[in-house]
Amino acid sequence: MLHIVFYFQVHQPYRLRPYSVLDIGQNLNFFDEDLNRAVIRKVGEKCYLPANQLIKELIERYEGAFKVAYSITGVVIEQFRAYYPEVLDSFKELARTGCVEFLGETYYHSLAFQFDKAEFLSQIRMHRKLMMDEFGFRPVVFRNTELIYQDQLADSLEEEEGFQVILAEGAEKILKWRSPLYAYRTYNHRFFLLLKYYSLADDIAFRFSNRAWSEFPLTTEKFIYWLSKLSLVEKGRRNLFVNLFMDYETFGEHQWKETGIFEFMRHLPEKVFDSPNLSFAWPSDVPQMMDYSPEALSYPQPVSWADTERDLSAWLENDLQFNACETYYEILSEIQSRGRSDLLEIARKLSTSDHFYYMCTKYFQDGDVHKYFSPYQSPEQAYMFYMNALAGLRERL
Amino acid sequence: MKVLLLTWEFPPFISGGMGMACYGLIKALLSMGVEVDLVLPTTEDVYFPLRSVGDTETLPMDYLDPTQKNKPLPSRELALVERLRLVGLPVFPDSYATPALRQGFDKTMEEVIRSLQRGLARDLDSVRLSLESGGEIFKKSQVFAGRLAQYARRLQCDVIHVHDWLTYPAGILLKVLMGRPLVAHMHATEFDRAGGVGDERIHHIEYAGLTAADRVIAVSQYTAQMIIDRYRTDPGKIRVVHNAFSISKMSEKKQRIFKEPLVLFLGRITLQKGPDYFVEVAKRVLAHRSDVRFVVAGSGDMFSKIIKGTAARRLKDRVLFTGFLNRDQVEEILTSTDIFVLPSVSEPFGIVPLEAMAYGAVAIISKQSGVSEVIHNAYRVDFWDIEKTAEIILDLLKDPKKRKEMARLGQEEVMKIEWDQAAKKMIQVYQQLTCST
Repeated sequence: MLHIVFYFQVHQPYRLRPYSVLDIGQNLNFFDEDLNRAVIRKVGEKCYLPANQLIKELIERYEGAFKVAYSITGVVIEQFRAYYPEVLDSFKELARTGCVEFLGETYYHSLAFQFDKAEFLSQIRMHRKLMMDEFGFRPVVFRNTELIYQDQLADSLEEEEGFQVILAEGAEKILKWRSPLYAYRTYNHRFFLLLKYYSLADDIAFRFSNRAWSEFPLTTEKFIYWLSKLSLVEKGRRNLFVNLFMDYETFGEHQWKETGIFEFMRHLPEKVFDSPNLSFAWPSDVPQMMDYSPEALSYPQPVSWADTERDLSAWLENDLQFNACETYYEILSEIQSRGRSDLLEIARKLSTSDHFYYMCTKYFQDGDVHKYFSPYQSPEQAYMFYMNALAGLRERL
Repeated sequence: MKVLLLTWEFPPFISGGMGMACYGLIKALLSMGVEVDLVLPTTEDVYFPLRSVGDTETLPMDYLDPTQKNKPLPSRELALVERLRLVGLPVFPDSYATPALRQGFDKTMEEVIRSLQRGLARDLDSVRLSLESGGEIFKKSQVFAGRLAQYARRLQCDVIHVHDWLTYPAGILLKVLMGRPLVAHMHATEFDRAGGVGDERIHHIEYAGLTAADRVIAVSQYTAQMIIDRYRTDPGKIRVVHNAFSISKMSEKKQRIFKEPLVLFLGRITLQKGPDYFVEVAKRVLAHRSDVRFVVAGSGDMFSKIIKGTAARRLKDRVLFTGFLNRDQVEEILTSTDIFVLPSVSEPFGIVPLEAMAYGAVAIISKQSGVSEVIHNAYRVDFWDIEKTAEIILDLLKDPKKRKEMARLGQEEVMKIEWDQAAKKMIQVYQQLTCST
């Protein structure tokens, strides 16, 4: 049996406004409220609301046999509350069906694991509390920001009770001859690992509307045919998992409604249920479905789902990013050691990984993706405003 | 006395010191009864007849062509910036060259060249070639000259006064067509701007302008020497008229952005201004103490390189950037500055240190600058001597008393520098030229 594991990432950062040196000492209004509101409203209308509606319809039509999981960051939920409460309500409605799973992650979608383990765990705890408060759900599956994973993360996560599964990227440099369709264990044998099947996930997320792609157009039939073929690799009838992890904004935002992305999704479940070898599963189903003893897999270096490198280079590669990140964690620890809880919330909003993504200077095809997502004219400009904000924060210490 | 004054920049449209210098000088000239007809690179054929001091703020305008007088001009009710936009004066000018105007320029140029003796004809021919071969900015200079040549016979003045190379081609044509004396003001040579040799076509234009001029005004001894060395201009016709400064609001009390002292670089972020030396100085100072902030204010072609340089040196948030600042923001940051550094590789004058000192900052000034000729209560350092500059800053940080005293002396000194002195010298030049013709 091949189980389709859908997980959708829902996240929007607090984008910075052009915070000037002259603002320092005057105010701590770091964020571009108008822009952030506009983005939430736009994406809410084009993606979150219609996509939630569709998922709900599918859940109801197939009486729970259609399963998806969400990872929703704390910062996006805060912004829903402030700018578009209906979106948050529609996620709560989904939660009430009992047929969606919510994953655990860092509240601020941060790179804290790379710099400050204690902060990493605090942000996970904050996020778990939020999932309980908003959706009455206690996550047992963890995914780190941008699917960044390495062995030490499994060690750190041991300190946080209740997690059983971690999601990661199915990178060839780790898997080598192995298949991402099987579940694995972390190197310390403490957690199950589910690995993104990135070629199929990216066929939907990135290539769906690309007319230059040889497989264009991607129909539900074609996709189901590929999945059925995949299920043949397993001769021993063991459970396989095809992990389709992607940004939720794929639906209606990265791929516009006009591309037919919603119709693709609408027809997928019926075709899945027509196929004898296919079904849906939540990531948290995996431990109960284990009919073999998974092999342990080691990720000695951090691996992410971003860019062709699938490493940290989208956020931590050039001097702008390193200087910004190092300065940030220096100031954060100052704030914590001085017990300045009044500054902690605003400071943590600056930990969101997107701020460093905007400073990326890699070119070629990935540079275009970065440019598409950045509200700034250049990486230098993003850095300038970010550093001014950090200085503004330090000034209050 | 009526002066036809051509310049490329004037507030609120400025990108550097030249606009502020023209503003200060014209205001002082007007207060002494000189009439100024100001011509700027507008899209429409207009000029600005300035008669009283207040006119520098409101910029009354009129058509260059008297036959167009019945055409309506932008209403005086509108804000200045809006009115200037209507006549096509962009903040950062881009090309508005039309083929028709350029043809007019070529025809006039040919006629003029044919009518001249060999020396000037050859210079003008090289001006024409330079303008013809250049990009956008050259075309704009060409169009500007073409337009003025077209109206030359209708314009009236006692003296023509042109500022920097973009207006020199127009100045040369006007001198020939109107038969009036020409004053060429030099705010910066191409050698200064380029921080090296620069564009050969601009050299040709600068040379022709300086040669055709009856008087050359250099903003400093430093610039006068540069002109003599580079262009072999007759020293007998060069006069040095130092700039002054004008600031809009003067507060007694220093404002603060940071609790810690602020060291400022302000200017275009280009090779000429030495921003890379500033970063090196910051690194050396920060190696000794972290309770100080460095700010790089301005924009320019080296922005990316400089900002990455500070990140590479891991100077954290102790070196910050502002990007482009408008005039009000410039004054705001000057008010908050404790130490101002001008590390220019070559600075014909450099008004900003004067402004900074007026706002109570201690100035550290490149020896390769004109401003270092007019002030004494400031530190003068070779632009390349980063160790020395860092030492001075560390010393001033260690000794706030000394810093205060130095700032006070500097403030007292610069307050005596006024545009009236420059205007008086200019009037003398105008008078000498008009008496002899």
